[in-house]
Amino acid sequence: MNRKIRLTVNGTARAVEVPTYRTLLDCLRNDLGLTGSKEGCGVGVCGACTVLLDGKMISSCIALAVSADGHEITTVEGLAGDERLHPVQQAFIDAGGFQCGICTPGQVVSAKALLDAIPNPSDAEIREWMLGNLCRCTGYYKIIESIRAAAQQSRA
Amino acid sequence: MAHRIVGKPIGRVDGIEKVSGEARYSGDVSVPGLIWGKALRSPLPHARIVRIDTSRARALSGVLAVLTAQDLPSILVGRRMFDMPLLARDRVRFIGEKVAVVAAPDPDIAEEATALIDVEYEDLPAVVDPEAAIVAGAPVVHENPGAYEGAPAERPHPNVQSVLRFSLGDVEAGFRNAARIFAHTFRTQLAHQGYLEPHAGVVAIDEAGRVQVWASNKMPFRLKELLSHALQLSPEKIRVNLTPIGGDFGGKGSLMDLPLAYHLARVTGRPVKMVMRYAEELMAGNPRHPAVITLRTGVGNDGKIVARSVKALFNSGAYAAFKPAPSVSLGGASMGAGVYRIPNLRIESFCVYTNNVPCGHARSPGEPQMVFAEESHMDMIARELSLDPAEFRRRNLLKDGDRLANGHHLEHVRASDTLEAALKASEWSQPKPGPWIGRGMAMTHRHIGVGFTNAAVRLQTDGRVTLRIALPDTGTGAHLVLRQVVAEVLGLAVDDVEIEMATTDDFTTDSGVGGSRVTHTGGRAAFHAAENLKAQIQAEAAKLGVPADSLAAIARAAAGEGRTLAASHFYDAKAHGAVTSFTAQVAEVAVDAQTGQVTVRRFTTAHDVGTIINPIGHQGQIEGGLIQGLGYALMEEIKTEEGRISTLSLGDVKLPTIQDIPPLTTVILEDPVGPGPFNAKAIGEGSISAVAPAIANAVADACGVRVLDLPITAEKVYFALKAKEGRP
Repeated sequence: MNRKIRLTVNGTARAVEVPTYRTLLDCLRNDLGLTGSKEGCGVGVCGACTVLLDGKMISSCIALAVSADGHEITTVEGLAGDERLHPVQQAFIDAGGFQCGICTPGQVVSAKALLDAIPNPSDAEIREWMLGNLCRCTGYYKIIESIRAAAQQSRA
Repeated sequence: MAHRIVGKPIGRVDGIEKVSGEARYSGDVSVPGLIWGKALRSPLPHARIVRIDTSRARALSGVLAVLTAQDLPSILVGRRMFDMPLLARDRVRFIGEKVAVVAAPDPDIAEEATALIDVEYEDLPAVVDPEAAIVAGAPVVHENPGAYEGAPAERPHPNVQSVLRFSLGDVEAGFRNAARIFAHTFRTQLAHQGYLEPHAGVVAIDEAGRVQVWASNKMPFRLKELLSHALQLSPEKIRVNLTPIGGDFGGKGSLMDLPLAYHLARVTGRPVKMVMRYAEELMAGNPRHPAVITLRTGVGNDGKIVARSVKALFNSGAYAAFKPAPSVSLGGASMGAGVYRIPNLRIESFCVYTNNVPCGHARSPGEPQMVFAEESHMDMIARELSLDPAEFRRRNLLKDGDRLANGHHLEHVRASDTLEAALKASEWSQPKPGPWIGRGMAMTHRHIGVGFTNAAVRLQTDGRVTLRIALPDTGTGAHLVLRQVVAEVLGLAVDDVEIEMATTDDFTTDSGVGGSRVTHTGGRAAFHAAENLKAQIQAEAAKLGVPADSLAAIARAAAGEGRTLAASHFYDAKAHGAVTSFTAQVAEVAVDAQTGQVTVRRFTTAHDVGTIINPIGHQGQIEGGLIQGLGYALMEEIKTEEGRISTLSLGDVKLPTIQDIPPLTTVILEDPVGPGPFNAKAIGEGSISAVAPAIANAVADACGVRVLDLPITAEKVYFALKAKEGRP
């Protein structure tokens, strides 16, 4: 069974008809062409598919597209301004917060949500908040550094 | 020598696309008319296929094709030993083996259709344990493995894929001269590389009839060769297009689903994408081999090792197809000698067929297994001899001119310096801060990789330089390293050197990424190409009477005469040099007396390295490898029960999270003696292998419990503590 849904993705109103079983991640990637969000584990534990639904982090691989009907979605593609990367994105570049980059869309979306909620997080708060975003390349040290640097940058 | 760009902590300016979501990995590739392929996999470890009925799947609305082995040529595929069918033919040999494949425009419909394929199986006796697999009368996984293309000749049992041996001196005589002899057996677990990008690929047959491939594969030219073999097409009919790879760690060098995607594309006339689900990765990726390893060491009264014999059994699963080395084995077995001078040595390593998931290469293939066993064994001997584990190692360390197990002579041996640096930084000789806290150490070394790599540089009329390579970006930062090398040689800024990704049409061959090779071989190719271009620029400058840094003017002048200043270099390093890289690590752990839970309180890692080209990337390799080693030590495991994997989600195999990382001290011993550009060495595989034994040795130091099998879970420590106390 198909349903027509309306959602706002990165500030743009979108309408799309999807089967009711379609995940939000597949809808974003395959129906809307936003392939920034990734499927890693597919069961909501790795965080590569993290997007914001009305500003809150969700695993889009285990959310149904129809559940996003009428809501606002922010994906990695929506973080940068017209000319500038979001401070979190720039910090991940400067401090080596990514290597292969497959988890990075989820990492930067989660980190943005963290800094929106706690502008000056402690290391313990960074670790607590970022627990749901696995990274296999960096060993996390430089992710923590990146988020610290982004927080500092945002304050400056 | 001071460098301008080399050695500078330049951030990942090569990765703007990665933080913005614009990078297109193979799973993100879209071409007009794209449809999806999904595979049906065997639910049994060993069975005869009696009948496959695809009629219900074919009848499902939206299904465009259903293929079984009957629809495909009876080709066997592999990387060195060709023993794996594209789809199971008559017989399945592991749970997860592909038996049919479906194509549909909607991936969910393709998946639904696989569930509508009816397969009738007849159970066959299975063998899942490598020790049980090589006794007389064991169920045979392949009837005649010696007949497979690429099969090694030596085969003491039909279930043995390969035998790898190393020997030095006279082992029997050595043991006769030993004052004491120690023997211990260790076991390591089945473990996934843990990349978060499952295998993905797109195959399209273009209007000219050429096969266009986008794949998460780090060796595009070898992939082209292997596809040419698997698809029975001439190589020039195939083009591999490079995409970034979402984590490799040794695992992204196989064909995986690409031949099936091709056949679906062939029969449907549509481009086909196949992306493995992570559950498929865990049951049928090409994970790290589990191992059973026994070491026997003879020691003289002076605490020097006089002889050692090592026997390793690697549980290779149902096919040898995923192993790329010509030996069809794992070079890591040679680490049975550790970092020690052992005059009389014999290592025998057997890769064994069982009805489990076929295993492949993972970061430092075979080494985390062997180094765990060898470095635990060293500690156990030291304790028996009442020697400080550091002192026992000191007495036996490799020195200049010594030979490795493979007979290779070493120079610039910095084993001792590396050990002492780790001991100092970890405060090894200071009193421990409290009860149930222990310290453990371990050492290893890793070669600097070899291979053959292309680089082509071209001066653009805006004065910038293009570097064309066919090395996929696996995430290590190699592209940035190569840009730094070219920028250094040509006096440019890194931003003035841009990477242009080649395809397999652009060069003849290239060994791709892997084996700690790229900084060395890619770096040297880029270095020599840039040196050549620099000479051309200087000649042009002299001719024009302008300064040699007027690059745009020089390029435009040449363009005015219809010329482009460009150079290319094919760098081919065939044999390992006399230099290696040592690692010494110290773990300090706390063991919870009530639960057995191990917490790593601090970790020290010391590395003997060459010239560092990018300190951020270099440290990132150390940290990433180290935390993979930590996961391997304490938590990661693909659990199997009679060939059935019971941890089919990434949550169950337990990769380390951001909460699991210990306070880390890194010590760098930089020594510009490597074969890479500006005397660089390698770092990608240096930090992973010694972590598990360092932690195991620390646990033994903390609570007297010796865990002989990985991972070191709270349960194992808890029950060992209970056993030690004599309570149930």
